[in-house]
Amino acid sequence: MATTKIQGVRIAGIASAVPNTVSAVADAADKFGAEDIQKIIKSTGVERRHVAAPKLCCSDLCYAAAKRLLDDLKWDPASVDGLIFVSQSFDFPCVPATSCILQMRLGLPKSAAVFDLVLGCSGHVYASWVAANLLAASGLSRVLVLAGDVATRGVSPLDRSTALLFGDGGSATALEKDGNAPPLAFVLGTDGTGWKNLIMPTGIQSARHPRNETTAVRQKAEANNWRSQDELFMDGTEIFAFTIREVPTLISNVLAASGWTRDEVDYFVFHQANKFMLTHLAKSMKLPLPKVPFSLKEYGNTSSASIPITINSELGEAIRTRPLKLLMAGFGVGYSWGACTATCGPLVTPPVILVDESEAWQC
Amino acid sequence: MDEKTFVTDIEELLEVDAGSLTASIELASLEQWDSLAFVSFLAMADSKYNTKVAPTGLRQCKTIGDLMKLVGQ
Repeated sequence: MATTKIQGVRIAGIASAVPNTVSAVADAADKFGAEDIQKIIKSTGVERRHVAAPKLCCSDLCYAAAKRLLDDLKWDPASVDGLIFVSQSFDFPCVPATSCILQMRLGLPKSAAVFDLVLGCSGHVYASWVAANLLAASGLSRVLVLAGDVATRGVSPLDRSTALLFGDGGSATALEKDGNAPPLAFVLGTDGTGWKNLIMPTGIQSARHPRNETTAVRQKAEANNWRSQDELFMDGTEIFAFTIREVPTLISNVLAASGWTRDEVDYFVFHQANKFMLTHLAKSMKLPLPKVPFSLKEYGNTSSASIPITINSELGEAIRTRPLKLLMAGFGVGYSWGACTATCGPLVTPPVILVDESEAWQC
Repeated sequence: MDEKTFVTDIEELLEVDAGSLTASIELASLEQWDSLAFVSFLAMADSKYNTKVAPTGLRQCKTIGDLMKLVGQ
């Protein structure tokens, strides 16, 4: 079982960034009807989403978060010897790795180890696990995990199952070697049988189903939704069933790995899938709702950026001043999942940063 | 759990008038039986009947009575 307890690694800071352009879910009433919109908002909990203008890439959001975090931590970029970019939205899919561009833009040394990971909802936990292992086991001393997606891209505006759910976001998490740090515990898992339930069938550079002129044509799908093969498909019923099957066990396992009791946890920071799902999970696991923060209303489902965004926007004030015992869990596309317990704080964590299209990298 | 209570649960789930549904009603005839209702049903099966319903089983249900069999009642 992929269960790991790591000693001597500290989470020093978390920053996140979103586009400054906001889209109100209620504005889509002309497409789906006011009644459907109200039903969707009630179920997803999403009222606004930050949507990237065409020139903004996920890496631009992560760059803004990382730059600010390095400044606030007073970390010299030359002291960072590792960077992991975890995303499904790359600058040049997939050659070269976006992490190499971020190494250059952030001014990290040439001696740094940098690489990309490809994951969505579980990405922040997975990349933090890799980073923590590298810090514990290799010669690295400081690693940045940059996690995020421009998840609104490749979504059909005429598909009510996805059009109003996702938001764009990027994040930076700074980890470093620290002999005095409390232990981190991780549990990871995978079930690839769910591959087809959250998918871009002819997504960019799909080797299985290459794009052609017909894959780009929107066709009528279930429940009067319209989308093309190039666009994202999500079977919400299957995803919900997967979540209630796997997540309660994941939470129990990571608590067992850490030796924490449920009551000891200050906050359960979940990937912001949707409100209905998270509320059901919290109730079924008997977690007190005030311990389960939500950032869906303002940011939507931001894929691998949703855990850092939730920490910044909902827990920022508390975690800046004192240590909090956090249980973080990401689950979804793949299917892939991971959970981590960490005593974090006082943490360097600026408020969520807004990024303008003019800040896009000019290459 | 009797049929009447289960049908009442489904009426509440779909937000339709009490007494308006029966076990033999075809799900396809209900405009409220949409993708959000599927997910709500899975949640209800989990919390109220302690059953993890597989979506494939759910898709095969034709009537409210079939749903009742699915949660083992």
